[in-house]
Amino acid sequence: MANSPELSTNVLSGTSGDVVDAVLALINQETCADDAFDRLALRLFAHQISNNAAYRRFCQRRGATLRNVHCWSDIPAVPIDAFKELELRCAPPASTDRVFMTSGTTRSEVKGRHFHPTLEVYDRSMICNFSQRFMQGSERIEMGILFPDETVLANSSLAHYLALAVRQFGAAESRYFLSQQGLDTAGLCNALANAERHGTPYALLGASYSFVHLIDALKQRGTTFRLPPGSRVLDTGGYKGQSRELPLDAFYAELSALLGIHRSQCINMYGMTELSTQFYDAGNATVPSVKSGPHWIRSRLVDPLTGRTVPTGERGILVHCDLANFNSVTTILTEDVGIAVDGGFLLLGRAEGAQAKGCSLAVEEFIRAAAV
Amino acid sequence: MTTLHAVAGYLPGLAQADVKWQTLVFNSGTTGLTVAVPVLRREQMTALALRVRQATQVHLKTMRVSAIVAVVDRAVARLLDPDDPYRQQADQLLPIISGYDAEMVRLGLTAFFKTFRAPQLHRFVAEDFANPKLLDEFQPRTKGGAARAFGPDLLVHSWAGNVPALPLWSLVCGLLVKAGNIGKLPSAEPLFASLFARLLAEVHPPLADCMAVVWWKGGDTDQASALYAQADTVLAYGSNASLEEVRRQLPVTTRFLPYGHKLGFGIVGKAALDTQRGPATARLAAWDVTRYDQQGCYSPHVFYVERGGAVSPHEFAQYLASELCNLQMRFPVRALVLEDAAAIAGWRQSIELQSMALGAESISEPIGVDGAASCVVYADRPQTLAPTALSRNILVVAVDALDQVIAQVQMHKDFLQTAGVATSPAELFRLAALLGAAGVTRITAIGSMTSPEAGWHHDGRFNLLDLVRMVEIEQSAESAADAMAPYAD
Repeated sequence: MANSPELSTNVLSGTSGDVVDAVLALINQETCADDAFDRLALRLFAHQISNNAAYRRFCQRRGATLRNVHCWSDIPAVPIDAFKELELRCAPPASTDRVFMTSGTTRSEVKGRHFHPTLEVYDRSMICNFSQRFMQGSERIEMGILFPDETVLANSSLAHYLALAVRQFGAAESRYFLSQQGLDTAGLCNALANAERHGTPYALLGASYSFVHLIDALKQRGTTFRLPPGSRVLDTGGYKGQSRELPLDAFYAELSALLGIHRSQCINMYGMTELSTQFYDAGNATVPSVKSGPHWIRSRLVDPLTGRTVPTGERGILVHCDLANFNSVTTILTEDVGIAVDGGFLLLGRAEGAQAKGCSLAVEEFIRAAAV
Repeated sequence: MTTLHAVAGYLPGLAQADVKWQTLVFNSGTTGLTVAVPVLRREQMTALALRVRQATQVHLKTMRVSAIVAVVDRAVARLLDPDDPYRQQADQLLPIISGYDAEMVRLGLTAFFKTFRAPQLHRFVAEDFANPKLLDEFQPRTKGGAARAFGPDLLVHSWAGNVPALPLWSLVCGLLVKAGNIGKLPSAEPLFASLFARLLAEVHPPLADCMAVVWWKGGDTDQASALYAQADTVLAYGSNASLEEVRRQLPVTTRFLPYGHKLGFGIVGKAALDTQRGPATARLAAWDVTRYDQQGCYSPHVFYVERGGAVSPHEFAQYLASELCNLQMRFPVRALVLEDAAAIAGWRQSIELQSMALGAESISEPIGVDGAASCVVYADRPQTLAPTALSRNILVVAVDALDQVIAQVQMHKDFLQTAGVATSPAELFRLAALLGAAGVTRITAIGSMTSPEAGWHHDGRFNLLDLVRMVEIEQSAESAADAMAPYAD
């Protein structure tokens, strides 16, 4: 595969190549001081406004220039919807680009696109972070994946992420249990029973809604497992209307009870198509859990109208500055509500379900009505 | 922080101790308010409905319309008196509940109550009944025979909305047709209807048992169905989804009068855009946007502005933006929860992004300071009518001719109601015909969009006529009766 992380030669030339090398170097460090983070963030900002016309216009409208952007939090945050409307990329389009697309939960007709001229940075970011936060020192573990593979969903960043996890950290017996035919419950139960019998730790990874399907399937069969110590779960992405809505606490309680994996070993990954770096928690013994990212990504919570950071302890909308986003934009404005806490932030869900409007028609209702 | 307490609901025949109460919490700046709302058991709800029905037969059905008008007028006079304790409670508590600026609420309430004084109420009745005595007794018909209008024995209201005091409309309609009234409070504003029911009972004690004000948590079908089963007519306000939910719970024989959410807009012709009138029109438009932060069904979302006047559509947008800033000083927009702020930011961003994606061929830009409370977005190409994010976010669209507006609004016929229009008399009537055909039911002056006049036809319907059942004595019955009279020859 062209983007295999083992091929560490940087395929890009020119300024893109230079920034890729700089980002890789920073990722490879153990930590990153504030000024080093700012230096690279500003270098990427300069790179992106010079090579990305859409982003340049966006920054001009906000009066943000190289002169008045002094640190990462000064960089204008691009709303994630911009990935739907604009081509946010620096390197010219090439046939070898990998394009990750959003699943389009809100506006199904338009998908956000994130262009990766090389996956070298994405892969390095994923591997370093995953190794630390999920593998926790283990080299390899047998994995069961509750998500379609990369050949089925070529534009899914999650499919790529999971493929990378299997390739880089999965034991030989690792396999996918979700196909177009649905969840292979029997196959999965066999694998889990095997792991139980042989005392080999097992990892289940996939979309949160697939875990709900698994919970339902296991309950229907009346099957439970006591997976050996070291076994773990990684869920991500929420339910997206693909399964019934299960409150977080019930989700982890049921998962833990059915699989015999302690909730502290049930890890949630928070990632976005628009980013190249993921956030993790340290298990979900209590929810909501504290999410944090590696040293090459920083987050702040803002008032969405002013863009200013909210006072500590107040809810805000998450803005992430991901230095691994070398080709698109480093800094994005999400639609996720969070609150800052020691060691990271709590993710409180999407900013929706706004208060009841009066008799004036609300946008959501209008869109629903117009769609009929 | 000081916390105030209030009790909502009006439950004749039920002791406070016999009812379960739930607390709704409201916060506005430094003042908090807890409102206790009643949660009735099924059998309590049924008993309440029976009590209201019976009392109505005895005390309300027997009143003449003019007497009912006089009673409502006395209650409304109390509400118009700034020293009256009911009015003071409304002035003090409604801003906390709604989050709206206190002065805006006070002015809004006074203007609103003025439309419920006796002369206005008589007009209200006369608008639907050329002969108001139809509500009191059989009246001769020109075709022969006689007729009388009977209101429902039990009219159930499902109120909604964050515009304070709105339940007054339908409650007064119910009283004028002599219906027993039970209203379900909206959780967003559980207070005013409760206050008004108590005030009315105080002003005219015989009415005390002819109405009730209840509450249940949205989706609680048990209480809802207990009440709906007793109703002759159900009148409901809300989103199409919530109206659909009410409709599903009604027996097929129950009359249902749904009032859905609407989408208002304004039209400014070049006649209103000379150098004198242009800024003045923008000032009036700013009032329409500011009053209750666009939360009314009549509130504007878009102003279509004609090119060719001395004040260009873009300049109009700029005037509007600065007027909104001025009004923000006097009547600050209500504090936004994070989700609302995010929705507004999302609306502004989506317009910005779309215009960036289109490139230079279309100008679509937010006017005003980034992060300001209000925002005017100007678009120089026709834009289909669509909701804004509310809370004083408004779209100004330039059009070459006012007729272009019709194409932008007519596909949303089901959502049309109010159009504010500023143009010359001939244009007004010509345009009104087109707007009416497109689905608009109320054409009003810019500046009056949020204050429907007394006796208006809400959503084009007859507020009172829709509630009544006409009972006719045909000519044949009258003639046949003549033959059976003791004095018949």
